[in-house]
Parts: sequence; C-alpha cells; structure tokens
Amino acid sequence: MEEHDRQVDGPGLRALAVAACTWLETNHEAVNALNVFPVPDGDTGTNMLLTMRSACNEMVPGELHAGKVAHALAHGALLGARGNSGVILSQILRGLARGLEQHPAFGTAQLVRALHEARNTAYRGVVRPVEGTLLTVIKDVAGAAQQANPQPADITALIALLVDASSASVLHTPDLLPVLKEAGVVDSGGFGLQVLLEGMLRHLRHEPLDVVLHTARHPLSAAAVSAALEAVEPGQEWEVVVDFRPNHPLDLQSFYKSLEQLGGSIQVGEGAANYKMHLHLPKELRLKAVEYVETMGTVVNVHMENLLDQVEQAQAAAPVEVQAGQLLAVVVAPGIGFNRLLARPGVAVISGGQSMNPSTEELLRAFDKLPVADVILLPNNKNIQMAAEQAASLSDKRVRVLPTRNMPQGIAAMLGFDPDGEFEPVLAEMQTRMAEVHTGELTNATRTVTLDGIAVREGQFIGLSDGTLACATETLPDCALQLLEKMGAAEFDLLTLYHGAAIGPAEADALRTKIADNYPQLQTEIYSGGQPHYHYILSLE
Amino acid sequence: MKAASPPPGRIQIAPAAIAKIATHSARLSYGIVGMAAKDTADMLAGALTPDANKGVHVCVNADQTVTIDIYVIVEHGTNIQAVARSAANSVRHHVQLATGLTVQQVNVLVRGLRMASDT
Repeated sequence: MEEHDRQVDGPGLRALAVAACTWLETNHEAVNALNVFPVPDGDTGTNMLLTMRSACNEMVPGELHAGKVAHALAHGALLGARGNSGVILSQILRGLARGLEQHPAFGTAQLVRALHEARNTAYRGVVRPVEGTLLTVIKDVAGAAQQANPQPADITALIALLVDASSASVLHTPDLLPVLKEAGVVDSGGFGLQVLLEGMLRHLRHEPLDVVLHTARHPLSAAAVSAALEAVEPGQEWEVVVDFRPNHPLDLQSFYKSLEQLGGSIQVGEGAANYKMHLHLPKELRLKAVEYVETMGTVVNVHMENLLDQVEQAQAAAPVEVQAGQLLAVVVAPGIGFNRLLARPGVAVISGGQSMNPSTEELLRAFDKLPVADVILLPNNKNIQMAAEQAASLSDKRVRVLPTRNMPQGIAAMLGFDPDGEFEPVLAEMQTRMAEVHTGELTNATRTVTLDGIAVREGQFIGLSDGTLACATETLPDCALQLLEKMGAAEFDLLTLYHGAAIGPAEADALRTKIADNYPQLQTEIYSGGQPHYHYILSLE
Repeated sequence: MKAASPPPGRIQIAPAAIAKIATHSARLSYGIVGMAAKDTADMLAGALTPDANKGVHVCVNADQTVTIDIYVIVEHGTNIQAVARSAANSVRHHVQLATGLTVQQVNVLVRGLRMASDT
C-alpha cells in the first residue's frame, strides 16, 4: 500500500475538502429538493454549499500542517454558516478541527477519534436534539467508524465505510422523523453530509466530480428553457431529449462517457422503468444521439429543439426601454412566452422561477445601471422573495418589492403598472390588482405524499389552487377540470391559461374545448407561457 | 376561489398559547441551548409558576398579526447570526402553521452564550 493512502497531510486534507465542496456544488439541487424540515424552504443544499465554500476559502494554499488546515476550515465555516444545516456543518468541522489540531498529518485512527469529537460538538449545540436529521447521520457515521473491526488502515477504505454508513443512516431518517415520512423524503441535511463524504471518496478514487448523479427529480423538459436562455455554446445548438427503457441495467459511468463524445449539458434522469436523457450537441450529431440510445434499449419518445432559434427569440425581448424619471418594473418570469407577454417600455424581465432562482446579484444587475430612481420588483415566486428584498436593500434607488407569489399575480399586478405614474399610487394600484386574481397551477408530483388529506403518487398530475394542493389525477385534462371545480370556476367570467414549454398549442386548444363544455359562461384565453415544470398556470377573475 | 366562510363565533388565541408554540420550536432550533428571562419580573414569574413561558414575549397587534420576542442563550462557537435567523424562521413557520395567524416579526434577543467548558 502506498504511504500517502495511510497518512493525510495539509495539502491532502485541502484536496479532500475541495472535492467534497465541488461534489456538493454539482448535486446541491438534489439536496434542496428534499428539504421539508425544520422549515420547508428548499434551501438546505444551497446553505450547506455556501457554508462549505466559505470553509474552503479560508484554507491557505501551501499549508502543510493538516491540523492547521482543519482549523482554517472550521473557522471559515463558522464565519460563513448559513441556515440550520450550515450551522450544524460548522460545528462538525469545529469538532474535527479540535480532534486533528495536534497532527501535522493524520491516519485513520486519528480521523476516527476526530469524528467522535465532531459528533459530540454537533450535539452540544442543541438542548433537545431532533433525531432523523443531520445530527443523526454524523452520529451514525462516527459510530460506524469507531465500531469497524478491523479498523481500516488506509484512508480510502475508511472514507468508503463512512459513505456507506451515511447512506444507510440517511435512508433510516424517515423512520425517526415523522414529517419526513409524511412527505416521502429522506432528511436533506443528512443527505448533504452523505454528498460531502462521497465527494471525498470520488476524489480518492479519481472519479469525476462534475457529473450529476443525484438528479433533482423534476421533469427534464424544464432544463430546455432555462438552458436555452443561457448562452448557447458553439457546437451545442441543438437540444435532444430522449425517453427510453434500457434493455439491461444502465452503467451510468460508461453511458456518460459515450454521451460526452457527442455533446455537452448531459443530464440523465431516472424514473420507475424509464430513463430520460438530455444533451446539447451540434446539428449534424442530433440523430446520432437517438441512434446511440436505441442500441441501449427501447426509445419511447424523442424531443428536439433548435436552441439558437429560442435564444434569438428570447433576446429579442431583452433590451429595456426606459427614460429617467419614469418608473421601472422588474419582473421575474420563468419562460420565454412570459417574457414576451410582459415586455414593454418600463419593464425589465429576468428569467427565473421554480428551481432556477436568480441571485440577489442578478436581480440587482437588471436595474441598478438603468437611469431611473424608482423601481418596483416582482419576484413572482416565494423562493425569490428573499433575494428580491436583499437586492432592494443593496440598491441606492428607491426599490419596493411587491410580494407576488406566482406569475398570474405578477401579470395581474402589471395591469396596474404605468411607467409615467407616481410611485405610491401605482404601487397601491398594483397591490389591488394582485389581490383580485385567483391562481391555479398544474404540474407533476415529484414524490409520493399525503398532503392536506389528498394522497398523491409520484408522477401523477396535481392541481394547486392559490398554492394549496387541490387535486391529483392520472390525466392532465381531468386534473385541469377538477382544479377548476375546486376553485369554483362557475362563479368567474374570465379564465386565462398559460401553457408550459412541454405543451403544444393543439393540446391546449383541446383543453379549451373541454372547459367550454363544462363552463359555458367562462371566457377562456390561452397564451404560451413557455414555463418549465408547470403544464399550465391559470388565473380566474 | 371563494373566501372561506366566517367561523360561527369568535376564535381567540391567547398570547400564552402562541408563546408555548414559540418556546417549543425555539428550543428545538439548532444552536439555541436555553431560554433567558427577559427581566427580573420574568425571572420571578418563572420561579413561581414553572409553566410560564420564560424568555418569550408575544404581542398580538391590532390588525391580528403577531410580534414575538424570544430571549435565548446560544452555544458559543456557532455563528450567532445564522443560529438566530434559523430560530426566527422556525418560530415564524411553526406559529403560522399552528395558528393561521400572520407573524409580523420575530425578534431574537441573544442574552448569553454557553461556553463548552460550562457544561
């Protein structure tokens, strides 16, 4: 056995920490998707990533003493801790640092002791530890390391053991914490720790750290629009999405390798029996990709799109026409269709929405350089609210955030917007308009769950009425009709439907006919919203 | 959607009930290792009636929203800002979930730190 596999020095620890952070960066969306405890705000992965980044930034390159590197990690994590899981992670690193501080280089025995210290430090931070969380997972990991018999002598073997222990512990979390079981998820923070450990193991085994293995489970057609709005790389102007059923269990490693020969932006999603492959490639290779997948199994569905064309359309809506003295509205919208609907003088549209939240910086950039003094910011998603508030507080301009939670609210509010009006009256008008609209959303359930007394299976169509689960069915039209019934559509006059990127105009039109049969009094208007995730977003007035 | 029908009578949630929920979720929040008495009167009340919600002060505003102050002890060596923010989020979430009231503000007042050597 090689000497370096038994002892980790300063640079060795640094490399492990960076690998852990990189792997979490690649997979943090999957961690976010699990977040239901203590507050279901979907930010665990992001918080742990920011904490880990801050930890890594504190390390001094070239430091040879492992104990000093560990100390720097702990210090950086303390300074940059974000959220509940971030604070626990910082305590874990603090414990590790305490265990390693005397060691210029450490072996497995020292690491096992340091893990024990990490566990104790983590538990010290809370009076009544909640089990089934990140705390449980560090406890189980430290325990497994201590009980291993014989103790692994090389670091790779020990870390492999830690990864196994963490993954077993994570799977057990729903049995300890009922809120996880009800939501049909494992603990997000615990899973985050598993991802960090996996990153270290992948580094030691020389495996790549930039392939997404823990795919966030949302429909991949989502990737189409968000990816298209970013710059298209040369030679990757076509997007191909293939649904297929493999003949044999897929070896993801070699599958990724073969796809890399063809193009980039590779994502592979795993369903019950079906896989979904997503890839960007040059025009001449677009059929090759389908042929290749056909050698692996049965192709069920193929979707192709010219990204350059999409980007040109999106960019056409981009420039903001506004003059000094006017009011500016900054609107976050999830699809090209919405961008076009909203684009007019005095309005800046930023792409973003569910699972692609713009950062504070991106929001700020959208208006900070424009020659206006007064800005009204519409986040159109509750997850963007916080970033919007931050952008507002950072700007020198007078910025007010209108707390719109979805697109229809935003669009309704924009009906009251007038770039030549006075700040406060316009704001009041927008608020009134926003309150008048009732919103429905149709999407797919990403997990099996019982919420508000409604049982939902993963993959079913679900309808949300003003953000609350209203119905779950097998077909989209049924889901739409049930949702309308729940929303009391018979008492309204106007229905506006925004269909998503995955829905064609013909399909939307067929739905309109069905709705007209059931609600003859209701006037229905259809727009292409182009949003990912949501098949339809609708509003009743 | 139509507005929910008004309840058949008056529903009032006492500040003490809200304080109970707030105390519970604050105590479960990571990094919070204790509640601190707000002032001497609060401390005395805590000594006389063990059931008192020590370290939590709830104010129901005129518009039926709620403002909550929590007085806490934080574990030394954690990022106090992050701990306080998480606790505030958690208290807000759980009070809103249980009572349906809008929590306008949660103020976290860090009254002390616990050093590891204290334990």
